[in-house]
Amino acid sequence: MPAPKPSITRAEFDVLAARTGLPLDEAQKSECYAVFGYLEEIAARVRVDGNRPREAEPALIFHAGRRKGGA
Amino acid sequence: MTAFPTIASAATDIAAGHLSPVALTEACLERIDRHDATLHAFIRLERDRALAAARTAEAEIKEGRRRGVLHGIPFAHKDIYETAGIPTTCHSKLLQDYVPARDAFTVARLAEAGIVMLGKLATHEFAIGGPSFDLPWPPARNPWSPEHFTGGSSSGTGAGIAAGFMLGATGSCTGGSIRLPAAYCGLAGIKPTYGLVSRTGIQPLAFTLDHAGPLAWTVEDCAILLQAMAAHDPADPGSADVSIPDYRAALMGDLKGLRIGVVRHFYEKDVTVSVEVGSATEASIGVLSRLGATVKDVTLPPLQDWNACGWLILSAEAYSVHEPWLKARYNDYGRNFRQRVTLGAFLTAADYQAAIRFRRELNSKLAKVMADVDLLVLPTTLTAAPKIDKVPAFGSIETPNLTIPFNVSGSPTLAVCNGFSEGGLPLSLQIVGRPFEEATVLHAGHAYERATQWKERRPALVGA
Repeated sequence: MPAPKPSITRAEFDVLAARTGLPLDEAQKSECYAVFGYLEEIAARVRVDGNRPREAEPALIFHAGRRKGGA
Repeated sequence: MTAFPTIASAATDIAAGHLSPVALTEACLERIDRHDATLHAFIRLERDRALAAARTAEAEIKEGRRRGVLHGIPFAHKDIYETAGIPTTCHSKLLQDYVPARDAFTVARLAEAGIVMLGKLATHEFAIGGPSFDLPWPPARNPWSPEHFTGGSSSGTGAGIAAGFMLGATGSCTGGSIRLPAAYCGLAGIKPTYGLVSRTGIQPLAFTLDHAGPLAWTVEDCAILLQAMAAHDPADPGSADVSIPDYRAALMGDLKGLRIGVVRHFYEKDVTVSVEVGSATEASIGVLSRLGATVKDVTLPPLQDWNACGWLILSAEAYSVHEPWLKARYNDYGRNFRQRVTLGAFLTAADYQAAIRFRRELNSKLAKVMADVDLLVLPTTLTAAPKIDKVPAFGSIETPNLTIPFNVSGSPTLAVCNGFSEGGLPLSLQIVGRPFEEATVLHAGHAYERATQWKERRPALVGA
């Protein structure tokens, strides 16, 4: 199955690739660009129009431990 | 000794003095010698160490110092579990000379329980890049048909147990890496609740999705292994401080009163499974119903939502784990790993936050469904194992797999063999429970296994 077409041009992708700091050669950049559409698809799917409910948030959770012998 | 003892049967025979751990270990090593040149389950075989451990176990048992059901049982570890003094390579050139100073938490617990460690098992590179043919070791092959994929990433674990090289082994699971090799190799494998089994000393792939767990021939053997592996570990920030029930004792009894939800839309609407997978699933639901469970269809958010959420989190977290090495040694990774993990470099902080928030919503919807049922069932895979040279690098993104939702949710999930394809390859059913209700999951899987005859079949190995 062919990968979905990226929404950005190869030149735009090359700017993003340079920003990663990874030592990608031209062939490796081409490989990444060829499958970049997959990343765009899943990134779009996890977003919603407007805001998520406030409770859908990555709370900081404390592990207070169990009380020994307490109520 | 039967040709392929289970852990439970071997333990009974060892306890009764009818089976020698040394003879059992020698039988496993002999089978490895004959067949592993074809199957490549092992990256490293520790023959002398294993025989010495078997002799020690035998002596201790004879002296009345038997440690328990795992004492003297041949076993092996996926090569992302650190083993003190023994290389732990993650099946990668990057770590081919890495020798840890300490055992992983679970490796130490299993050693304490008395297992005989045979060696280290093949995996996908760092538990994601595979099957690959450009690494220092070849990929493991499926004992049911060496041209076929074992599933991954616990690929050597799947191949080795199915081939009878050892009676159980460790696996790890970030998106399906315990259940997929269990499915394609005809085994039982349980991905426990996130936090039940420590990850200390196991090479991370994606911190919030990684789970450790066992694979074995039967559900009962998985229950025995999980008992030894599950424990609170203060060194693992994700480790849960919960009481551990007696999983083996919980296997008994029928399924009367158990409420099972079938996630039918996952595999009939969201994606389509093969006809034989669909038929095997329906037949399995019938078996569970006849055993006393009440069964109804349930609806979760679409599989594509779970898949996107899981893959985005996995991509971001795996990239963050590997970024320093990717910048310094990019070309020392295999192509498959590079292709899958490099994409994470292009995600933004907002992408990751969106996925984490989406995960909270998905899990809340799952919890509401699970308030009305005790278990969920669905197939483990879409088809039987594909040919090993036909596994696409982005197959699970192109077509969502059925395992990743329960890494996103952290739910305990068991894969159990539920039939064979026309070509003789194993098929598999997933059984999903509420958090920390492994006992219920294992109970249902064990009841299913005892009511069917799938475990009587073993691969016909061809070798020297």
